[in-house]
Amino acid sequence: MTRIKRGYIARRRRTKLRLFASSFRGAHSRLTRTMTQQRIRALVSAHRDRGKRKRDFRRLWITRINAVIHEAGVFYSYNRFIHNLYKKQLLLNRKILAQIALLNRSCLYTISNEIKK
Amino acid sequence: MASSSATLSLCSAFSSHCNVASRRSSVILGSISKPSVNLVKPVIGFLSPSTASTSRPAFPVAPKFAESVVEAKPETTDVEAVVVSDVAEDKPKREEIFAVVMVGGRQYIVFPGRYLYTQRLKDANVDDQIVLNKVLLVGTKTHTYIGKPVVTNATVHAVVENQGLNDKVVVFKYKPKKKYRRNIGHRQPNTRIRITGITGYEEYPASPNVAV
Repeated sequence: MTRIKRGYIARRRRTKLRLFASSFRGAHSRLTRTMTQQRIRALVSAHRDRGKRKRDFRRLWITRINAVIHEAGVFYSYNRFIHNLYKKQLLLNRKILAQIALLNRSCLYTISNEIKK
Repeated sequence: MASSSATLSLCSAFSSHCNVASRRSSVILGSISKPSVNLVKPVIGFLSPSTASTSRPAFPVAPKFAESVVEAKPETTDVEAVVVSDVAEDKPKREEIFAVVMVGGRQYIVFPGRYLYTQRLKDANVDDQIVLNKVLLVGTKTHTYIGKPVVTNATVHAVVENQGLNDKVVVFKYKPKKKYRRNIGHRQPNTRIRITGITGYEEYPASPNVAV
């Protein structure tokens, strides 16, 4: 077999890696071997947190709706609000309700009065 | 992002309008500058998982309905007003109305004149007029039409602008110490639609808005 040097094959692969890890802190963006490890951890976290993001936002929306609904009446809370929502067969989801609570609070009060009846 | 460039273009249009408005001495036009500032607010994000990869920021922000938007008609007498009226008329045309519509399994708050990204609509071509039927809520300045579950006969008209793909997400599966790793890239197909109008809700029983 003729002798073959490896040339720039590894360097091309590591340049892409360097670009990915360019914003990492300290040695994690400078040293090749640590960069490969940190890239793996970063991608794994991103994958896992894409699933978690859906849960996180739903929690946030529920908290926001709860806060606004508590101001609507004395013994009124998120759970009663949602129960009324389902009883009246409304289809609005928590994301929309949270946005309405932020931007157009009178509209949310209108909705809660409507379903309380 | 497209939305940020959209807000920037809005910004330039409104700033030119505001400069023009300050030249005129009418008090009414002075109040137009306030709502324009609100409309240019950076979009906060709670956009649905549709743009999960681009994160929430693409969601359009509603102008505050509590303030009154005074729509002043520009006078047509002055020569200067002829030039002014072209710019001034852009602003008052937009109706203060929003709807909550369900497309592709997700719900969106929708305003006429703005665009949004939905899941890919299979049989739609570019520049198709589209009618969205599942309208869950329509809100105007004074009344809210709450659908149980749908506002009957309400429709949202839209135009398909673009059929594209979301940004790439890298799906990287990895199990430590077990020599298992999979590297997969994914681009979710989407459709960009621009909302042209919201109609058909007038016959439905309306609830007047509660004063905050």
